[in-house]
Amino acid sequence: MAQKVLLIIPAYNEEENILNTYNTIKNYNKKQKTNYDVIVINDGSKDNTKKILEDNDIPHINLLHNLGIGGAVQTGYKYAYYNNYDIAVQYDGDGQHDVRYVKNIIEPIIKDKADLVIGSRFVENIDTFKSTFARRVGIKIISAFMKFSTGKKIYDTTSGFRACSKELIYDFSLSYPSEYPEPITTAEILKKKYRVWEIPVEMNERVGGVSSIRAWKNIYYMISVCLALLAIKIRRYKKCHRV
Amino acid sequence: MSQSLTITLIVSSIFLMLLTTYVLKKGRIPEKYSLLWYVFSLIILLVGLFPDLFTWLSNKLGFEVMSNLVIAIIIGSLLLLTMALTIMIAGQKKKTTLLIQELSMLKEKVERESRK
Repeated sequence: MAQKVLLIIPAYNEEENILNTYNTIKNYNKKQKTNYDVIVINDGSKDNTKKILEDNDIPHINLLHNLGIGGAVQTGYKYAYYNNYDIAVQYDGDGQHDVRYVKNIIEPIIKDKADLVIGSRFVENIDTFKSTFARRVGIKIISAFMKFSTGKKIYDTTSGFRACSKELIYDFSLSYPSEYPEPITTAEILKKKYRVWEIPVEMNERVGGVSSIRAWKNIYYMISVCLALLAIKIRRYKKCHRV
Repeated sequence: MSQSLTITLIVSSIFLMLLTTYVLKKGRIPEKYSLLWYVFSLIILLVGLFPDLFTWLSNKLGFEVMSNLVIAIIIGSLLLLTMALTIMIAGQKKKTTLLIQELSMLKEKVERESRK
């Protein structure tokens, strides 16, 4: 039986890109005969995102108040859980992610080889946009802390292009960090002894909008994430099984 | 300890007790939290009434003057209080996030149904 796949697209002030992103996915579905559903979580955008979503009949949820990336993505996981999806894919609304790679990152989950698959910019040397030097150094440091707190090497710790299994959809719908969700959830998932895979993907440079990790916040971001990873090291975790 | 510090402490303590009673009467803080503030004012009152006890204690603990001990106690209690507030805020944030998420999803569902 085909597995139900949902792409969760968090959007905050993405009026320039969101329609493009949606149409790309729609066209891909038509051409490749895939059946990826989409849910856009409009995180209280102050621009025309809401109007664009409504006018073009894009499936979406308007959050009544801005919750930040973590709260928005978690809404997507709750939606996936309530609507009984088998696989949820986190997908950026800004044109950074390439829908052609969705196939690759959901494959290990369909084959039941992994519970969480991270679309990674750093696993293999493919010629692609790999973000600025400073950010790459930051990601390396976070990666080292990740190794220290979970014992596993994850190369692209901040990638927002990820797919997860039904069990993790439920886990995320119950609890999801509001700040720095990607590295923190990856570390927590590893501590809970789930199987995490990294798969090489290409990413594009942002077409428009502003990254949720702003330049002047980078150092603060890195320190907070490292601290959070240390906290995860001393915490105990248990898998929460579906009832 | 000087006479005037004694008076200041007693007056402050009475003021804090009256203030607590006032906001409690108006229903602005729950009874649970008013207790904390009564304990605070009681401590200040005790220092005012029994300065010798606190002078002895401050000597034992290595404070140069007794008033430093009083300040240290107050700052320490405030730090604990702030910690408690931080924990409470985090809890409140979790609850509002949950409410916003569930309500937004419900609203979307209702709007979708009504369009059919």
